Amino acid sequence: MKNIPLLIGAFLFSIFFYQQDIGLNLSLFSLLTIIILAIYNKDLFKKKSTIIFSIVFIITAITIFFFRSILTIVAYVVAFLTLIGNVSKQGSSVYVNWLNGLYTSIAAFFHRNFNTTEKDEKVTPKQKTDYLHLIKIIGIPLITVIIFIALYKNGNPMFSELISKIDFGFINIQWLLFSVLGYYLLSNISKPVIVDPATTYDLNNGNSLSRERDFIVEKIKKENQLGFILIALLNVLIVIFLITDITYLISTNDLRASAISNQVHNGINTLIASILIAIIIILYFFRGDLNFYKGNKNLKTVTYVWIVLNLLLIINIVIKDCQYIYYFGFTYKRIGVLIYLLLTIIGLLTTLIKVKQIKNFWYLFRVNTLTAFTILIISSTINWDNYITHYNLNYAQSMDFNYLLDLSDNNTFLLKNYADKNNLTAERKSLIEKKYKAYLIELESKKWQEIQYDNFKLNKD
Amino acid sequence: MNISSVIFKSTVLATCIFWIVIMSQGFQNYMIPLVFLSMIPISICCAITIFLTIVPFFWVRRGELVDEFDGRNRIIFKKYFPFYAIVSFSLCLYGIVESIFAISFFVSAFFTTMQSWVWLAKDNEKQNN
Repeated sequence: MKNIPLLIGAFLFSIFFYQQDIGLNLSLFSLLTIIILAIYNKDLFKKKSTIIFSIVFIITAITIFFFRSILTIVAYVVAFLTLIGNVSKQGSSVYVNWLNGLYTSIAAFFHRNFNTTEKDEKVTPKQKTDYLHLIKIIGIPLITVIIFIALYKNGNPMFSELISKIDFGFINIQWLLFSVLGYYLLSNISKPVIVDPATTYDLNNGNSLSRERDFIVEKIKKENQLGFILIALLNVLIVIFLITDITYLISTNDLRASAISNQVHNGINTLIASILIAIIIILYFFRGDLNFYKGNKNLKTVTYVWIVLNLLLIINIVIKDCQYIYYFGFTYKRIGVLIYLLLTIIGLLTTLIKVKQIKNFWYLFRVNTLTAFTILIISSTINWDNYITHYNLNYAQSMDFNYLLDLSDNNTFLLKNYADKNNLTAERKSLIEKKYKAYLIELESKKWQEIQYDNFKLNKD
Repeated sequence: MNISSVIFKSTVLATCIFWIVIMSQGFQNYMIPLVFLSMIPISICCAITIFLTIVPFFWVRRGELVDEFDGRNRIIFKKYFPFYAIVSFSLCLYGIVESIFAISFFVSAFFTTMQSWVWLAKDNEKQNN
């Protein structure tokens, strides 16, 4: 009896996804997932974090319904794994949630062979399934209903017509195998499991560093001196770099796309190397006892200065990227640079907090993965293709028209609207018309499982 | 450790999954003798995979956990199986994405390796008891 929700879920899984594209079905599947999780883990759905991750999961599903893109699909998968991981173990970090979520989704069925503890076995001895009763409660009503349907069919032509409309033609062996796959997935997630060493380690390790009982002061003093000299020198170097870079930025009049592109990309490469080395060096020196050494004030000061200078370096790149966007419009790469810079700023600030409040490496990892997850979810709720097209058509000083055409269909209605209201060249108009018509055909051929928000726009028109 | 019985069971399981997936796309009479013939290469694949990728976990860790009476395999299973499952899944998924025609092979490979872990761990558990 306890498997009935899973059987119904597997049936619905096949109806939603068998030989279907992505659309409304992902929203329905997310509801199904949450219902299955809530049925088998009632208590956990009273916890705030589980409710929040469920809402996030539904939001990502809705975004796919509104504008499908690779980013929204990735966000959906990550949100799914996070929710499952959260249900498997409350209070664990986001990256452990991902690990537990992935493991649960693919292999919980096999893991459960070794999941029962001796205590569980003693308290709840496994009851034997009464298969005869199961056959009776399914078989007898089913046979009786079929007999009565046959009787009523002969007695009422309208009822007969209704029955004949029910088409089970979609059920075949492949469909059944697909249902088995659905059952396997839902059975896996119904009772989430954990990756034991990783989860226990994560739960047992807090965010703060603890002081060792007796550390050798002489050794720490030498390390402090080395750290101070190294980071002070790097400060001098980064100051010189910033001065020359800002001077170049102010004095140059070269606004060719290739020139700005080179500057931004070189800047990003420098930044990636610089930030990574900065964080590694900081993590190395502040890995343990040096945090508790009384004479570390100067080292801490030069470290803060270095972090602030790296932030200035980032601002410098942001200015270049914004300049690039102002003149040549948005592209995914240029937006990606901005998001990377945002992540870097957060990474540097958390490193600063780590040094100031004597946190450990796991603190950095936890906070930054959570930040990356949040940014992924927020960025997936934005229809980038539409915004890129809108900005480039209306505000950019110059733009690549073919780039807009090559974007996904999320900007098709906007392009069509723009073409109708503006005087474009015949070639551009025909290209937009071609894209629009192809999209209309695609939308019209969608089955109910695949429909998306644009289908409703179609009906309005 | 009775590896031969695990290899035999894995071969049967892999053959069943492999041919069910193929036959779901269309059944032909000539497939029946092929089912039995295919058991030879499948058994070789199973034996190699089990010997090279699963059994070493039990052999290597066996000596270290002598003091743990009947929970020895449970410890090995819980510690290594999750990562093995994730790697196995990733490789099989990659294989399916690269060549959808090989779906039956990769699906049977994934489920058979998973079940082989369970059989090996349970087999050892019985022997310890």
